[in-house]
Amino acid sequence: MNTMPQPHEFIDIGADVAGIREALARRRLVVIGGLALLLAALFTAAMVMGDYPVTLPEILTSLLSPFTGTTQKGIDFIVLGVRLPRALVAVAAGVAFGLSGVLFQDVLRNPLASPDIIGITIGSATAAVAAIIVLHWGGGWLASAALVGGLATAGLIYLLAWQQGVSPYRVVLVGIGIGAVMTAMMSYIFTRARLVEVQEAVTWLTGSLNGSQMKDAVQLGAEVIVLGLLLIPLSRAAGALELGDDTARALGSRVERARFLLLGVGVTLCALATAVTGPIAFVSLMAGPIARLLLGPSGGAIVPAALTGAAVTLCADLIAQHLFFSVQLPVGVVTGGIGALFLIAMLITANRTGRTS
Amino acid sequence: MAPVLTHSNRSRHLAAGLALLLALMVLMALASLAVGARAIPLGEVINALFDPGTTGTNATILRDLRIPRTLLALLVGAAIGLSGAIMQGVTRNPLADPGLLGINAGAALFVVLGISIVGLTTLTAYVWLGFAGAAIATVLVYAVASLGREGATPIKLALAGAAITAAFGSITTGVLMTDATTLDAFRFWQVGSLAGRGTDILVSVTPFLAAGIVLALVTGRLLDAMALGDDIARGLGQRVLLSRCVAALAWIVLAGGATAAAGPIAFVGLTVPHAARAITGPSYRWILPYSAVMAPILLLGADILGRVLAPPGELQVGIVTAALGAPLFILLVRRRRLAEL
Amino acid sequence: MLKPLLTATFALLLSALPAVAEWTYTDGGGKTVTLPDVPKRIVAHANVAAGLIPLGIRPVGIYVDGPVKDDPSLRGLDLTGIEILGEAWGEIDIEKLAAAKPDIIIAEYWPLEKAYSGLEPGGGANGELIEQIAPVAGPIQGNSTEGLIKDYESLATLLGADLGDPAIAADKAKFETSKAAFQAAVKAKPGLNALAVWAGTDALYVASAAGSAELSDFVNWGLDVISPEIADDRGYWETVSWETIDKYQPDLVLVDDRAGPATLATAEAQPTWKTIRAVAKGQVGDWPAFWMRNYKVYAEQLDKLTATINVTDDTVGD
Repeated sequence: MNTMPQPHEFIDIGADVAGIREALARRRLVVIGGLALLLAALFTAAMVMGDYPVTLPEILTSLLSPFTGTTQKGIDFIVLGVRLPRALVAVAAGVAFGLSGVLFQDVLRNPLASPDIIGITIGSATAAVAAIIVLHWGGGWLASAALVGGLATAGLIYLLAWQQGVSPYRVVLVGIGIGAVMTAMMSYIFTRARLVEVQEAVTWLTGSLNGSQMKDAVQLGAEVIVLGLLLIPLSRAAGALELGDDTARALGSRVERARFLLLGVGVTLCALATAVTGPIAFVSLMAGPIARLLLGPSGGAIVPAALTGAAVTLCADLIAQHLFFSVQLPVGVVTGGIGALFLIAMLITANRTGRTS
Repeated sequence: MAPVLTHSNRSRHLAAGLALLLALMVLMALASLAVGARAIPLGEVINALFDPGTTGTNATILRDLRIPRTLLALLVGAAIGLSGAIMQGVTRNPLADPGLLGINAGAALFVVLGISIVGLTTLTAYVWLGFAGAAIATVLVYAVASLGREGATPIKLALAGAAITAAFGSITTGVLMTDATTLDAFRFWQVGSLAGRGTDILVSVTPFLAAGIVLALVTGRLLDAMALGDDIARGLGQRVLLSRCVAALAWIVLAGGATAAAGPIAFVGLTVPHAARAITGPSYRWILPYSAVMAPILLLGADILGRVLAPPGELQVGIVTAALGAPLFILLVRRRRLAEL
Repeated sequence: MLKPLLTATFALLLSALPAVAEWTYTDGGGKTVTLPDVPKRIVAHANVAAGLIPLGIRPVGIYVDGPVKDDPSLRGLDLTGIEILGEAWGEIDIEKLAAAKPDIIIAEYWPLEKAYSGLEPGGGANGELIEQIAPVAGPIQGNSTEGLIKDYESLATLLGADLGDPAIAADKAKFETSKAAFQAAVKAKPGLNALAVWAGTDALYVASAAGSAELSDFVNWGLDVISPEIADDRGYWETVSWETIDKYQPDLVLVDDRAGPATLATAEAQPTWKTIRAVAKGQVGDWPAFWMRNYKVYAEQLDKLTATINVTDDTVGD
């Protein structure tokens, strides 16, 4: 009659589960800690490496100068005006791209989903190309154009894909369609523009951190922090989304609204970062899968993906600046190459577990 | 009363439809000969066609520009439509399009390297460079996707395609950023255009495209079996690896040849098979010939429009197909449930 | 908001002080640069270097839009001792630039884009950041190459060059001779007209003299350069389908030579290229588009063109 498990059996099962949960939490902490350390090392390298001869003590003096008041004219410009903003923008943009990628991949449940592939980045890019070549905008105006272009395209894709709700499948398809129109528009503009203007546009399109200023870093950093904080309440809904629509609905989260808000945050992050640096290729695509690989089954990829995005961007920028002796390349060229190697590595290792993401 | 044989009824309807489309295609081809940036009276068009001895600028244009261009549009269109359908069948992914699987990136890279390193800027050079690049990219994509136990599954093909596109793209951009002359030549090639492609281009690509088209039409049965999944296909006695190889060969030759001849025209290969499937249903034995005929119709239509919309210049076909094709595609996406393959 | 206020106050205070500025230059964009002394350490864009080096002013560093060996304006110039600060458009190495400690950065001003070469607002190195290293100024990309070279002469004089130096004076004298020969050749053939083109694989692009400094010079010196009917919205080029290129029938066709012989080869591959009668008769010349910046090179190109004009039959075209 008494077929229910005895209390001590409950405790045993509980202990196993608790043990596993503990191990997973530990792994997650290790991964996050490791990534943070890596980021710190890369940041230090970014501050120390460069063509202008600066010694480590001089760098430290510069960094502390807002507090101590000691100024060193040329060195302060290099440390505080060139290297620090560039590294900060790299981190902020990397976090923004990484987060937007992982959000897209979670909501659309497709490891290939990212703002790049869905067509939103193209929207920013087309707006920017039109602004550069047709309107001759630069600086703040150009950034605004890119931002508006990205957000408007996202809105358009959402509207067109909406039919009693939004299926991820339709979003991707519509995104590809819109992307094709935008690419055609850009190609048309490129064939009608003067070569000089095309060069300007191609530079922007490749994604570059050259000439980053402190005000860009501060602005983007603030935006990323605010949107990141927004994710905390939303990420609870995100966890439920991975289980599938039906389960999520049964668990009580309002699926449609959660999806919309998460995608919205992802789109905004991507658009804001793109407005500052141009579209840096593949960071949004790579960050999530790399984070997941490191985490294994411990889940909760959002923070690690953010850190990964920052690390990848910073590392790529260092390579782009210093790998070739005579010429300095924009960061987007390198992230494209790294993205490829990474994807190939994914393909080689993924098969062990039979999963591809 | 004898039961209605739905299957053969359907086949008959589809055959009739195909014949209609073929007729439409021929009409479009004739329109392509008669219409262009230069207004040539219909009488002269017919004269030049039937009397090879006619001279004069109009005759030169008809013989050396419009006829090769029309023939090229037919071949390239068929090639794109077929390769798109094959790719979607092999990868079981309705988003498969030559652009997504590395071919355009490969062609672009080799064209850019050819211009930058060797200084080649003629169309014929682009054809060979593009073909080589596309072939190498596809082989790489297949090789990378085949790493590991399962071989080249659809997801892995898509990922490998993205990887190779990224790698090649980054080298291409690196070169373009440092070489303005290459950028100047490349920005016109990458739009996708049939203008200026004369007899020599036609002669270079026809053998490949013709062979590819024939090979592709034969793969219909293979693709139908593959669509059921590898296990079932094997159970039906098919050698999955061999099928994949044959399909891949057809696809390299077709998509590579098309991109080599006209530059990347990315959208047609994606939309046309979907439209074809909406009419014919899921069997590749019908999707393939329908794609092979519908795509040239779309391409010719776009090309003709491009010739007259921006006088005295022309609008490149790659731009018109995207402008036309994308809204149509989105409409399709909204109106019908695009089935998973 | 605060910044303009502070700047205005500062300027007001400065203007109240007795003039201390030793060196002033008002550039092509209307900007005035004031420095305490004649700038000795100059960083220049490649085109500016092509203008200043033959006049005796050597920059300490230059930045180029592409590889140095491919830049037509730097052809034949001795660049020893000059540091290359960038060989990709918009990717000037800011730290190398700062390390070079320039007093001034000289780049040409493009009025349409309202920005300086390589530092255009749309992309590339952020002009604002570079301005913090040294002021950026330069002559305007206007409607005359001869005028631009004269601008370089005045700038060079301001920078301390001696234009009376025999080698420099000889170059200028040679140029004046070549220019006179060109004018005479054109005058001898009053019915001669020319068409300036760039050949693409899918269309022919006809240039408008208004958009090109050297073509404007040729027009001013008497050459009739055909103006396209429907130039694009900026007024620079008309796109003509290869089917309709016989729309214009000049006596002489000038082909853009920035990319070397490649452009002409592209044109010759088209079956309808010879429908322009001048081409059928072989009356094709080079158009040195946008890259000339000094008298020596200009003289050479003019001599070539004059020789071509002298053998051109001016009854071929319309």
